[in-house]
Amino acid sequence: MTGSTSAGSCSVRWFEKSLYDLIKGLRNHKGAEDEYIQNALRECKAEIKSQDMGRRHCVPPRDRHDQATALLKLIYLEMFGYDMSWAAFNVLEVMSSAKYLQKRVGYLGAVQSFRPDTEVLMLATNMLKKDIVSPNIPGLSLPLATLPHIITPSLSMSLLPDILSRLSHSSPVVRKKTIVTLYRISLVYPEALKLAWPRIKDHLMDDQEDASVTTAAINVVCELGWRRPHDFLPLAPRLFELLVDSGNNWMAIKIIKLVSYNPYHSPWLCLTPFKQFATLTPLEPRLTRKLLRPLTNIIQTTTAMSLLYECINGIIQGGILDGEDNLQERDEVAGLCVGKLRGMIVIDSDPNLKYVALLALNRIVTTHPLLVSVQQDVIMECLDDADISIRLQALELAAGMVTSDTLQEVVNRLVEQLRFAPLSASADAPGVADEDFEENNAPTTSTETVKVLPNDYRTEVVHRILDICSQSNYSEIEDFEWYVNILVQLVGLLPLAETDDYWNAPQLGQAQESSPIKTTVAFRIGSEIRNIAVRVKGVRMEACRAAESLLLIDNRPLLFPVGSSVGDDVLGPVSWVVGEYAEYLRSASRTLQSLIDGGNVSLPAKTLQLFLQAIPKVFIQANRDCEGRDSWRSEMSLLLARVVEFLESLAAHPDLDVQERAIEFLEVLRLGADALRSEGQDVPFLLTSVIPSLFMGLELKPVALNAQKKVVLSASLRLDEPFNDDLPDLFDRLKNGSLSDINSHSGLQDFYYVTDASPPANKPIHDLTTAASYLDTSYQNVLGSAGTGHKAERRERYQNDPFYIAPVGGNNSSGTSTPGAPYEGGLDIDNIPIIDLKLDDAGKSLTSRDIPEVRRHQPRRMEVAADETLGVEDLSSSPRGNSGAGSNRRGLLQVDSSTLERSEYQQPGLVSAGDEGDREMREAMQNVEQVRLRMQRASERIGLEGTPAEGELVKKKKKSKKKATTLEGGESENKDKDKKKRRKKRTSEHEPQ
Amino acid sequence: MINAVLVFNNNGQPRLTKFYTQLDTQTQQSLIAQIYHLVAQRPASACNFLPLPPLLSRQGSSNSSSAGPSDAPTQITYRTYATLSFIMISTSTESPLALIDLIQVFVESLDRMFENVCELDLIFGYETMHAVLSEMIVGGVVVETNTEKIIAGVRSQEGTTGKRRAVQAASTSLGRGALPGLGAWR
Repeated sequence: MTGSTSAGSCSVRWFEKSLYDLIKGLRNHKGAEDEYIQNALRECKAEIKSQDMGRRHCVPPRDRHDQATALLKLIYLEMFGYDMSWAAFNVLEVMSSAKYLQKRVGYLGAVQSFRPDTEVLMLATNMLKKDIVSPNIPGLSLPLATLPHIITPSLSMSLLPDILSRLSHSSPVVRKKTIVTLYRISLVYPEALKLAWPRIKDHLMDDQEDASVTTAAINVVCELGWRRPHDFLPLAPRLFELLVDSGNNWMAIKIIKLVSYNPYHSPWLCLTPFKQFATLTPLEPRLTRKLLRPLTNIIQTTTAMSLLYECINGIIQGGILDGEDNLQERDEVAGLCVGKLRGMIVIDSDPNLKYVALLALNRIVTTHPLLVSVQQDVIMECLDDADISIRLQALELAAGMVTSDTLQEVVNRLVEQLRFAPLSASADAPGVADEDFEENNAPTTSTETVKVLPNDYRTEVVHRILDICSQSNYSEIEDFEWYVNILVQLVGLLPLAETDDYWNAPQLGQAQESSPIKTTVAFRIGSEIRNIAVRVKGVRMEACRAAESLLLIDNRPLLFPVGSSVGDDVLGPVSWVVGEYAEYLRSASRTLQSLIDGGNVSLPAKTLQLFLQAIPKVFIQANRDCEGRDSWRSEMSLLLARVVEFLESLAAHPDLDVQERAIEFLEVLRLGADALRSEGQDVPFLLTSVIPSLFMGLELKPVALNAQKKVVLSASLRLDEPFNDDLPDLFDRLKNGSLSDINSHSGLQDFYYVTDASPPANKPIHDLTTAASYLDTSYQNVLGSAGTGHKAERRERYQNDPFYIAPVGGNNSSGTSTPGAPYEGGLDIDNIPIIDLKLDDAGKSLTSRDIPEVRRHQPRRMEVAADETLGVEDLSSSPRGNSGAGSNRRGLLQVDSSTLERSEYQQPGLVSAGDEGDREMREAMQNVEQVRLRMQRASERIGLEGTPAEGELVKKKKKSKKKATTLEGGESENKDKDKKKRRKKRTSEHEPQ
Repeated sequence: MINAVLVFNNNGQPRLTKFYTQLDTQTQQSLIAQIYHLVAQRPASACNFLPLPPLLSRQGSSNSSSAGPSDAPTQITYRTYATLSFIMISTSTESPLALIDLIQVFVESLDRMFENVCELDLIFGYETMHAVLSEMIVGGVVVETNTEKIIAGVRSQEGTTGKRRAVQAASTSLGRGALPGLGAWR
């Protein structure tokens, strides 16, 4: 859009408009702004270049009024999203203006439009150097305020000495801005902090320093503090003094923030001065008390709610409540804090206080769940608050504090909330990303009643309910029938327009790539039903019946949200349940008819795949159901014909997976239909056992997501070696029929269908996993029960084997896998490798926590099957697309301060003698880094000759090169003296330090 | 630290954008649009804190509130005055309630600069608004919260030219209406 330039309009003065004209023009061209703006951009482009085209050589470029005006307009339009990166060079020109107000426009342009890839920045070094030492304060402030936006490591290196010198400037305005600028420089160039920190500290320590400089220093320390808490320990006395004496709430808040960085959530063990003093010097408990008293004092006396809140927050987060000593005082403080928070929620009607109080409670709940659960009544109130932000906080809090006692109450309440709030129309789809900024869509919200819940909130509530219930492998749920019932209800309460699409859209192809199925809430609900059916044998029938009721065509209008297809994602997992556990179905033939309903053809491919898999299974069950009846043959023929018809309609489905499965089952069932037609009164063998045998095997168990990866390859496994060197001979023998070993076939058979020594061959459900014995089902135990004789001997042999897990208490069930391992009488079980599958720590702790938990509650509770052996599947997070996405990626707007951790900026004296070698190494590294930066600068200077100053306009290479040189030339003409000085400075810079 | 300061009107038209980290124009615009979408949904009685918009929430930790300090922006504080909404995006090192007050200081300073500030003043006094902000916040760190000193800082730069020009331009354009509710919570 900025590519076109109207060639004829350059340097036509009367054409020029001021910013005001532009804005007025914009207002007068309602409806056709874009055209107007395009014209304006074209004009600006002409104006901003007019000078260097026409008058550069006759008028010294010190007055850049026209350019500044054009630039101001560009900056204004940039705010609305109109690119001005092409003008980067002109920004530099305006920055070099001698007139302050023009210069200010230039600097503003740099702040607003320079991006990391703006190449002209290196041209600005000298100008910045000059401006930083400018005698007048406003002029000097410009680079100080601008540098944080544009700073690069190499620029930092060149400017650091000049900026440091500003710390001793006579004006506090300059000093405070310099302190902040130095902080931002340190972020990209950690070396800087080493030089700057001692001086910033001096300013902080100085009693006579201007208050606003001290505040700025505190603010900077607050940003640095959580990265390097130890370095700020020596400041504690001064901070304490400022906290008590300053009377400045802004500063007090920051100090409290600084001293209360939560040790629980950061990798540094003792973060807070409180905590630090308490841990490092156990002889100083009085310091905790010393700080505790003023904080308590503030809490009791202050009228500033922000300060009160931060004090409470500080006490909680700072770990003051966690110490081992002086129990009584701590209880008092805890009571005081929680009481005040409660007061903020209950007494004050200010929604902000309510919100922050919940925020604070949310922080406490991770460490002090008991303190919070006392406030349950208030929190539950907040779940019904009119304000969605407050509700979401309360929701998070509720999720954090539920126990098995409160779970049903909380969930029921949420479900009620969803049920009684009318579904908001899906019309207000959140497509706001319109470029047309003059569009006049007034917000509709204030008129809406709060009772209408926004869709994304509804979605969030459903997610939370599922999170709450499924946490730590359903350990908090007592009544699984209730849960199944809730799940079915939730399907009907789904928001009409699933907002997940909107929220997830921009990240498609990044985080979503890993999960092939789009994880909508509906899909999650379906998965929960499936999970319950698989894991909780006790309610498997209920879960299966629930799945059946969801699947039945007749029920769908009743159970699903009306007039929307958001519920369709439930059907996939649910159909798996009815297929896999078809024997529990109320009516297999009705279910089958719903599965093969003609309307299903339009379902998404992922759902259809699951449907296809379920159809034959349910068909077998339907067949079994009516086997005894007289009408059996005709019923079956009819049913079979309909199934075949449905499959035929899918045989040309665009999704290959659906197509393939449809054709496979189509052929199998056609055979069945043939058999039905041809054979006499007998039930065809094909239908009674051949087709059923396709789907009968061992019971399917939940397997952890990463279990397969953890299986260690056997050392004796040689995939590259041929099985038999003498293959031709083998084939010869095969041809002659001398190979009479048919056992391989039965071996295969056993592998799939036999769990125990003598199972009934055609009984699909094995008693292997009855509720009582399920957890004991393990690799060892299967072996044990089969060959007890070997057991002791084997144990002895593996005594010293590091890979062998000794059974704890005789029935160690965790850490084993694969029920249904092949077992044959003749197999040498001792040769089966028993390997400790290394779990990651998280998985291990979860497993070891879960299983005893389930056991403890055995008399009361349903048995919940944990994931097979290799850790618990991360139920709460893995199904949600938007969580845990690339935690290491740097976020938007994010300043990367991690470099600070690595750098050492204490005075050398404080570095202990022990790591002398370390320090040398570090110094060497720093030197290398400095040299590298210097080389980078040098190469930038050289690269300048060859590369266009204006990044995008490659074709105008020649022109921009000329411009670049003329700017420098123009400067040098006027500032010969300056240049000499600069050169001197540069040479001194290159001397080794 | 404060990651961004935004001002837009009831129609979502930006009046001031200041990002304290470099961000490409397109992302800036979609972030503004997303935040506007959130603000526009909120009734007047709601609290001054926004949930994170999708652009911000999908990076970093999923649950921001309980986590300790980090570089990721986790708080969005907004305040609406008449036709304008003021937004501050910040990390957890800023106090949420203090940010509300900071917005108040910003608006009070603008009010002092322009005398009964209204949206038009800010449109035409665009540069002055930036000047006020840069007296308060440098590089995302608050450097001044005292209205007197902020005003003095801006005056030392431009005298009253900014105000005079803006008021002139605005008065020839449309009728002026001050931002009501200054001094009250909202």
